[in-house]
Amino acid sequence: MKLQFSGRNVLILGGSCDLAICLAECMMESSLFPIITYRSEKGEKRISEKFENSSDEYSSLYLDFGRRDSLDALSAQTVDDIDFLVDFAQGDLESFIAAADTDSMFHYFSENVAFRAEILKRVSRVMLKKKRGRFIFISSTAALRPNPGQGFYSAAKLASEALYKNLGLELGGRGVTTVTLRPGYVCAGRGRQYLQTHEKEMLKMVPIKRAIAEREVAETILFLLSDSAWGFNATEITMDGGLTAGK
Amino acid sequence: MDVLGEIKKLLAEILDIEDHDITPETYLIRDLDAESIDLLELAVSLNSTFNVEIIDDEIYLRTFRLHTMDAEQRGDDTVRYLLDKFPFLNESRVIEIMKELQSGPTLKVKDLVSYISWQYRES
Repeated sequence: MKLQFSGRNVLILGGSCDLAICLAECMMESSLFPIITYRSEKGEKRISEKFENSSDEYSSLYLDFGRRDSLDALSAQTVDDIDFLVDFAQGDLESFIAAADTDSMFHYFSENVAFRAEILKRVSRVMLKKKRGRFIFISSTAALRPNPGQGFYSAAKLASEALYKNLGLELGGRGVTTVTLRPGYVCAGRGRQYLQTHEKEMLKMVPIKRAIAEREVAETILFLLSDSAWGFNATEITMDGGLTAGK
Repeated sequence: MDVLGEIKKLLAEILDIEDHDITPETYLIRDLDAESIDLLELAVSLNSTFNVEIIDDEIYLRTFRLHTMDAEQRGDDTVRYLLDKFPFLNESRVIEIMKELQSGPTLKVKDLVSYISWQYRES
């Protein structure tokens, strides 16, 4: 089966993480054109070093959820060219709710929910004009089953899931659809570090007895972007090897 | 550019109706059954067609009733207050809307024409 795509340009939010870079690579292999966002020099360097030999197969731009003015980077021209959006962006605020710094709380939700909503508004209006578009939000099973200290992370993820779900409900009839993917333990980025020290515990909990590979997630996202998957709309799909299925 | 003509074309396309059924006095919601999603699509199309900023709440008069109540509570001259909030409307239209507020959605095609024309003048 060869995947078909109704569009070519994919805006990747939070594009300097391991999963996003793996996805961008898969996209280039499938003749899609990733527009990879980064929020720091370190992120920009990761991207440019990884794709040193593919400079005409992708582009990158600065977009920091903590800086509203960075939204200007999504100029009319850039946004007009977007056919798909994949959203990996997520900030950290690990704290018990009763102990959290109040300013940090406000900033966290402003960055991870309100700013995200602003991006979705901007991009969805363009897709509405084209009567075609697809959003994939990368959430996490940790949103549903958080550990102590992950309350803010979970709240931001679930709020964002609701934004994406509603976007699909509101604009599905006009050709713009959305899906949330909830990966479980993935061998990438922070997940990889966690697994190095908690592998035994993890293996006990996951029915397939292994973490999900980076490439598996990337290829799943690619499938969800393809024409074959557009029947999935305004919904959440869990990819965790059965972690959250049982007690 | 024929602003009314272009708006009629967009409405006809979005609502799947004949444009000869549309006049400046046509109500978008009462007569054409436009829904929220249609108005959203229209706003996007107006922005693209006329290359002017469209603020949905302004062009669709969504806050007209709220501002009317604000003015009354403050004891301000309501018409003057509303003309300040909706600078693309003229006095006779503001008074017309105020009279009709209780009868249902007041948005007419001529309000869209006024908004686009005003945006052109401002830019």
